[in-house]
Amino acid sequence: MSLLRNLASGLRSLLRKEQVDQELKEELGAYLEMAAEEKMKQGMSRQEALRVVRLERGSAETTKEIVRAGSWETLVEACWQDLRFGQRMLRKTPGFTTVAVLTLALGIGANAAIFSYIDAWFIKPLPYPQPDRLVIFETQDKKHGWTSGGVTSAADFFDFQKQSTSFEQTVAWGGASLNLTGNGLPELVDGGRVSWNFFDTLGAKPILGRTFTAEDDRSGAPHVAILSQGLWQGRYAGDPQIIGRNIAIGGEAYTVVGVMPGTFQLPLMGIANLWTPLALTDMQRADRGNVWLPAFGRLNPGVTLEQARAETATFFAHLEKEFPKTNTNLTWLVSSMTDRIRREEGGPEVMICFVVVGLVLLIACANVANLMLARATSRMREFAVRGALGATRRRLAGQLLTESLLLFLVGGVASLLFASWGMRWIESQIPGHIRGYIVNYGHIELDFSMLMFTLGITLLCGLVFGFAPAFENSRLDVNHTLKETSGQTSGSKRGARLRRIFVAAEIALAVVVLISATLLVKSFIISVRSSPGYNPANVLVAQLALPKTKYTEDSQFRNFSDEVLSRIRALPGAASTSVASHVPFGGFGQGIEFQVVGKPLQPGERRGAPFTAVSADYFSTMQIGLVKGRFFDSSDAYGTSPSIIISQTMARQVLPGEDPIGKKLRLGEQHSVGMIVGIVNDIKMNYLRERPGWHIYVPLAQFPSRTFGFVVRSSGDPMIMATAIRDAIWAVDRDQPISSVEPLENLIAVVNTGDRVVADLMVFFSVLAMFLGAIGLYGVMAHLVSQRIHEIGIRMALGASPVHVMRMVLSQGLKLALGGVGAGVLAALGATRLLATQLYQVTPTDPLTFVAVPILFAAIAMAACYLPARRATHVDPLVTLRFE
Amino acid sequence: MPDKPTDLVQGTLDMLVLKTLALEPMHGYGISVRIEQISKGVFRLNAGSLFLAIQRLERDGLIAGEWKPTENKRRAKYYALTSKGRKRLNNETREWGRQAAAIARILEAS
Repeated sequence: MSLLRNLASGLRSLLRKEQVDQELKEELGAYLEMAAEEKMKQGMSRQEALRVVRLERGSAETTKEIVRAGSWETLVEACWQDLRFGQRMLRKTPGFTTVAVLTLALGIGANAAIFSYIDAWFIKPLPYPQPDRLVIFETQDKKHGWTSGGVTSAADFFDFQKQSTSFEQTVAWGGASLNLTGNGLPELVDGGRVSWNFFDTLGAKPILGRTFTAEDDRSGAPHVAILSQGLWQGRYAGDPQIIGRNIAIGGEAYTVVGVMPGTFQLPLMGIANLWTPLALTDMQRADRGNVWLPAFGRLNPGVTLEQARAETATFFAHLEKEFPKTNTNLTWLVSSMTDRIRREEGGPEVMICFVVVGLVLLIACANVANLMLARATSRMREFAVRGALGATRRRLAGQLLTESLLLFLVGGVASLLFASWGMRWIESQIPGHIRGYIVNYGHIELDFSMLMFTLGITLLCGLVFGFAPAFENSRLDVNHTLKETSGQTSGSKRGARLRRIFVAAEIALAVVVLISATLLVKSFIISVRSSPGYNPANVLVAQLALPKTKYTEDSQFRNFSDEVLSRIRALPGAASTSVASHVPFGGFGQGIEFQVVGKPLQPGERRGAPFTAVSADYFSTMQIGLVKGRFFDSSDAYGTSPSIIISQTMARQVLPGEDPIGKKLRLGEQHSVGMIVGIVNDIKMNYLRERPGWHIYVPLAQFPSRTFGFVVRSSGDPMIMATAIRDAIWAVDRDQPISSVEPLENLIAVVNTGDRVVADLMVFFSVLAMFLGAIGLYGVMAHLVSQRIHEIGIRMALGASPVHVMRMVLSQGLKLALGGVGAGVLAALGATRLLATQLYQVTPTDPLTFVAVPILFAAIAMAACYLPARRATHVDPLVTLRFE
Repeated sequence: MPDKPTDLVQGTLDMLVLKTLALEPMHGYGISVRIEQISKGVFRLNAGSLFLAIQRLERDGLIAGEWKPTENKRRAKYYALTSKGRKRLNNETREWGRQAAAIARILEAS
């Protein structure tokens, strides 16, 4: 209450200053008059009475000041004055202001842009109601420590669902590419098959129609589907009668029952535009051997993760006893969905960027602080005069601090421009098909938390970096400064030392940034240039999956691929054509369990490797090198005993010190036994930074597959053949959707996006850091020279040659720069160790980088010092001395 | 001649002003004269401290001011105790008495 009244009264005196002043004056006048009258009654003259009263009670003016100083609004007024004054000072020196504001805007903007991603990925909650109650299930082998990567077996899941008490809902789903046919060209749409409670558990509401019901999720129930807003508005042109309409998926009729809003996505599933119920058959539901089903759940209110873990542990201990064949050592790992999704995001990359932009901001701030320090030297007289007129040191420091805060705030506002531009740039670099995996994608914008962050770092930096100049410059010796006659006051020694420390620190930070960036960029370039184990140039890849409804027999798969192959081979320009079940960077992959015949595994032990079925000439088309043995050939036909080719690394690690050729492997559930006939070089399947790993190849003729990647090597630009290849496929089956026809190099580039964005950002930030460091050094040197101009004049009058003077200035600058570079190298030696996991074939202490960057910096420092040094040699002794 | 006027103990001035106004509404000069009279010249108020105290009390809502003509046909701002101010005065008086008694006991004991 009283605080409010106090505020109101204070505001009143701020806003109606004149009136309040007037009242106070009148009240005081009356007071003094009355006191004087009293005195006059004792016989004094009026004048004398007034004088005595003033002496006894204090003059009206002083009293007014005292009363005014006793209220908080005076402080506000002082700040306001400081602000107006600061604003005038900034306008008076447009050059300084522009440089400082730009520097700050770049530094703060970069931080804000990167922060917006950190916020969206790591801070903002998942976009579902009560996301902390969502958990993910995955099968885990307690003995060997492996986890399945987010999947479980169907039987385990449904058994658990039946008896679970900790969970409100449990959901299973599978990602699926669904073939939309009819109503235009066939189209492969990314989507999912989901338990009926999928949407309800995530709290997602349809914009049209309904979500699935338990009835929909039975095998044999009438087919229903839910569309995304995008698919509804695109393929179906926003048809208002879409609910109840029949669409054809994989050649079967589905009734549309709902449309989900465009913002709905599950980062685990990726882009999804079409959902159908999981509707597993009883046989599928009873399958305990295959671990393939992704699953998650929503905890009952009040149930902790620990309690849920205890429940699953008990349940799986029981399953282990009941089904020792499939469930020995197996349990469920129950983890928070939030943690799980964040782990899969580009966490380290974003964090590296954040640290690097943080360093860049420090450099920018140090630069601005330096500029302020330098400028203050030329304002010494102003401060001295104000000091002489009674301004306290606190008042002067307050004013300087206000000025720097104002400068930082202007920079902060300007930074929003850079920030939104940077955010858009980063967003544009993320390829469409991986956007679906990014949490809160599309929710990354200039929002409240980002504005708060920007304001926060702006104020923090303004206070921290404004404090040193304010503190330093307000300490002054009025007498000394005013006595100096020339305008060349030399500023305090401490101020000069502070500036040198700032510059050295700036250079050190810039060196750290540049070394880190160089390592990352070098690693990126090496990973891009390194051979993936095949030659991706001029190779076109067409990927598709045959629908299960239409193609049921192995022979149908074989006929389809044989026919397509022969049609493509007939095309002019197709130098070499082959097919595989999965292609590198194709986004799909399959693993298979294996066992070396004659070398039984430990009980419960399992070994697996990525697995690809290929046509006979796949290796020659891809130009994968043979290390030993032979490639597949026509002898590896359907019905003959299986042949196997393995990767070099697998040969070395699985059969060390033995000749693998002729050894036999037992593969997969069917336990088909094959003989190793060849060893090929390692290839990269998923990432360019991938380490060489195990790989098993088998002939497509012996291991039929319904997914195909047709690989066509042409003599020129492969894209020219794209249409012809589509036509060749549609000539075999006019309803067959093709998921993509793309040059292999594009597929690689897309996967490499994250690394490329980081590399681009690193180049940008390191150039920025270097540039800011150079400006800082230049500023300090130019200032030092202008301060020593008098001394240099005398030296030259006494016979110093220009060369001598230049050497003197250069050596002073270089000493400063080398100090910074040395400190930077030492700091970098510690810092780059943190990058180790991100580096590919580059050590964190890469000698070349650690030599080249300091040399580069020394050269830049030379250049930055050269201009001031040259100015020093042009000093005319006569002019300088006369200046005295 | 009495002892030289003493500076008021910080915080007691507020209480004295409240006490003075408890009798009747009064203007600034009246308050200072009354305090000096009652204290028999021990306390001499200068205008600065007085009006600072008045401003503080008014902002805290303990007293309220109103412009009125004086007996000498002059305009002056008369201050009156609010109910909140009266409550505060009672509290402070009680507290002061308690403390003064305690201090007196300590001084007597030694």
